[in-house]
Amino acid sequence: MRAVWRAARAAVRRRRLQTVVIALVTLTSTAAMVVALGLVDAASAPFDKAFDRQRGPHVVAAFDPDKASDEQLERTARQPGVEAAAGPFAQATVELPDDAMNFGLGSQITVVGRPGPSGPVDRVDLWAGRWATGPGEVVLNRQSDWTADDLGKKLQVPSGPDLTVVGFAFDLSRTADAWVAPEQAAALHPTVTQMLFRFTKESQAPDASSEDRLRAELATLTEGLPAGALTASRTYLTLKQQVSSSARAFTPYLMAFGVLGIAVAVLIVANVVSGAVISGFRHIGILKALGFTPGQVVAVYLTMISVPAVLGCALGTVVGNLLARPFFEFVFTGPDAGVFHGSVSVAAWVNAVTLLGVPAVCVLAALAPAVRAHRLPAARAISAGSAPRAGRALHLQRRLAGSRLPRSVSLGVGLPFARPGRSALTLAAVVLGVTTVTFATGLATTMTMLGNAGRDAYQVTVYASSFKHGKEVKPQHGDRELESLLRSLPGAREVTARADDDIRMAGSAQDVMLEGRRGDRLTLGNVLTQGRWMHRAGEVVAGSAFLRQNGLRVGDRIRLEKGDRGEDVVVVGEFMESNARLLVTDWPTVTALSPNEKPIAYHVKLRDGADPAAYARAAKAADSGISPTPTGSNSLTQTIVGSATVLTLMLTVVASLGVFNTVVLNTRDRRRDLGMLKSIGMTPRQVTVMTVTSMAVLGALGSLLGVPLGVAGYEVVVPRMAGAVDLALPPYMTDVWRAPALAGVASAGLAIAVLGALVPARRAARLTIAQVLHNE
Amino acid sequence: MRKEYGETTALDGVSLEIRAGDAVAVMGPSGCGKSTLLNMIAGLDRPTGGSVVVHGENVGELSEKGLALYRRRRIGMIFQFFNLIDDLSALDNVALAAQLTGTPARQARRRALELFDELGIADRRNAYPAVLSGGERQRVAVARALMNRPALLLADEPTGALDSRSGEQVMDLLLDLNQIGQTLILVTHDEHLARRCASRLVEIADGRVTGEHTLEPSA
Repeated sequence: MRAVWRAARAAVRRRRLQTVVIALVTLTSTAAMVVALGLVDAASAPFDKAFDRQRGPHVVAAFDPDKASDEQLERTARQPGVEAAAGPFAQATVELPDDAMNFGLGSQITVVGRPGPSGPVDRVDLWAGRWATGPGEVVLNRQSDWTADDLGKKLQVPSGPDLTVVGFAFDLSRTADAWVAPEQAAALHPTVTQMLFRFTKESQAPDASSEDRLRAELATLTEGLPAGALTASRTYLTLKQQVSSSARAFTPYLMAFGVLGIAVAVLIVANVVSGAVISGFRHIGILKALGFTPGQVVAVYLTMISVPAVLGCALGTVVGNLLARPFFEFVFTGPDAGVFHGSVSVAAWVNAVTLLGVPAVCVLAALAPAVRAHRLPAARAISAGSAPRAGRALHLQRRLAGSRLPRSVSLGVGLPFARPGRSALTLAAVVLGVTTVTFATGLATTMTMLGNAGRDAYQVTVYASSFKHGKEVKPQHGDRELESLLRSLPGAREVTARADDDIRMAGSAQDVMLEGRRGDRLTLGNVLTQGRWMHRAGEVVAGSAFLRQNGLRVGDRIRLEKGDRGEDVVVVGEFMESNARLLVTDWPTVTALSPNEKPIAYHVKLRDGADPAAYARAAKAADSGISPTPTGSNSLTQTIVGSATVLTLMLTVVASLGVFNTVVLNTRDRRRDLGMLKSIGMTPRQVTVMTVTSMAVLGALGSLLGVPLGVAGYEVVVPRMAGAVDLALPPYMTDVWRAPALAGVASAGLAIAVLGALVPARRAARLTIAQVLHNE
Repeated sequence: MRKEYGETTALDGVSLEIRAGDAVAVMGPSGCGKSTLLNMIAGLDRPTGGSVVVHGENVGELSEKGLALYRRRRIGMIFQFFNLIDDLSALDNVALAAQLTGTPARQARRRALELFDELGIADRRNAYPAVLSGGERQRVAVARALMNRPALLLADEPTGALDSRSGEQVMDLLLDLNQIGQTLILVTHDEHLARRCASRLVEIADGRVTGEHTLEPSA
């Protein structure tokens, strides 16, 4: 065993470059694999994972405190089928002034009196500040990717005491908008008592009847309570449907990247390791001649490969975890995916799989050629490095020799065919690299178009209120005056007023958000996918998600109601929108339902060249009661484009490392040929051209195969992403494969090949001829 | 000329003058520096001190590209182990040397065929190195070395890997070449080869010239 270790150690020392390449490739591949597998895991069931981590309630129930006492409710928690329960908690509905919008809250919020963030059920994530423990303190429910800059501010409650924000906590289950200490809740006039239940596994069968089974379970455990004690309840399945839709949009895309990442990593590792063993055949022969048994020879080679592979794998797992954390935080950010922000991380099984899997792939890849060497007679193994061997692809070489191409180029074109197995593995890596680049380019183009759709419709949004030291400041101008003022400021070109009104649609239990628009540009940059925009009162345009979820189509008539008023309207168009509550109409229609409705914001389109920040400053100076905000970027677009870019770069680097390794091995194998070619007058530049050409051939072939695969991947994934959030993409957004784009992605294969080949090619060009030929 | 590899001195003040048309044999024990001397002349390596001047050109001062062009235009090199490219046919191996200079493929092949005829291996032109005998491989290597009509033909143990009959054939070939005016520098252990092919013998030991003799042509 000592001899095996010594020989392996000597081999590692002698092949420093190869050892470094193996370590580097396993490191990069493992890191890519950790991120890729982590993504697949995080994207596969983000809601379930986050929900389980917070021990979310399967049912949130509200009881009438006059009919069911706290003792009676505590008894329900001990009923069979209940795994755990939290409560009873006093729950109040609190009306807030309009300025609460600044805290991300609506005009009416649910406040629950709760002693702390933890407990057997619904462990909320207190990510900033502390829990409310005394009077006048409140903790707000806010996603952890938002800011905590409102900490310490006061929330004015018209019907109760002012509350100071002492903390921010995130509750995926949305059991409350805010929490106060139980003693404080009494001052907010609670009307119901909240109970949170988790049921045993048997009650959670995820089949179609789960909702019914959960409701049946609730009915059983509230049987003993007085009639009418249970006033409302909500199962977690409704919440899951709401919360998961944006994550569902990410899933196909993240899965595609994850699978590509794993495939590239495995291929490259197999290529590098098998190549290392094959190039050591001569050394194997010498070991045999020295008296090493075939088993010992295999052991030497497996040890030689395992040392850098295990090292690279261990470091790669660490690097992967370090990379994954900020990357996941970046991916799961914003109003859509941000609910999972704090709950996604690399699962333990991912680390276990990579730590065991990558060395296993290495050993398996090394085993096949090592066993071949095991069977090889010593004399043949020794001569493998120097004896003439039958050439490969001779017919092709002959044709190339007679071609008009410069000889360094024609020699390079023929090189990949001399080592078909190695070239095939390298080609596969390049193909996957090009597929990734193509897919990511298409995706980014669509997402950029989606994000940019209507971006030029307005550059500044002016909110019709502002806040100073936590107090609302009203605009000094009335609605029409303010509109005129904004129109008169330097740089203004168009002004469109917008009002949002909560109304009901006859026959539907769900609230509808009716957006009324008035002014120069009623479309406000929304993308119409069907029909037309409204021309007169009584016409509405609906978001695609609204139409799908309500089973409506363009041309249908619906009745909208607000209080005792009602309006019959016709849906004249569909626009791209994932908010399933949104309807857009003109000003007369919205004021017919709500005569006193005032705009909440004015969207201002500026003249070409005007500075949005300067306009915003001028508007604020003209009226301190408004909040002008230059339009920001689209976070979903930013997230997808950003993460796609990071993943693409990562996979491109791994694929380039595969090419790098192939060129290093080929150069090593062909040292004698290179020395000879230089001895008959081949210049260093010609050697570089020949070596780079040999990989450029694989790059070109990789593009030829990878581009259609990437396009196919795009065609499969992108419509599913849009469908997951009930979006219908207009054809111009999916028609991304134009000649310049295709030419661009086709050059990706060449870029990967040239990038990977350049360094070893230049090294090959600098080989000392006398030394190379002398070694023979 | 001096050549050092780290602590080791391979050539220690060697001075030689070789005239056009000369046939010089360099002899000496293993490791004495004779192959190093040949590498310096061929521009495969650079001297540590002194200079190598061929046709008025200081080889040691040339850039990497300049050295490549020098080897391409002025030098033909024959190795002990032939150094043919396994993936190319005999004819393509030979034509390659001309194609590197930009000669069109057809013209290069025509010139290679002439050499194959002259060297008596025309019938083996489409064979690949793996199926050629040692003598045939060395003839292909000679043809390749002559392809660009070099000023200097350098041979490093050209018969070292051949059986005696093939060795004799190669010796005859080198002799014939010299007789038609080809300058030849030959590194060998084989005194018989030296006496057959060379008119002058340079003896080297420990990196120094220890003797120079004029040789009488042998029968």
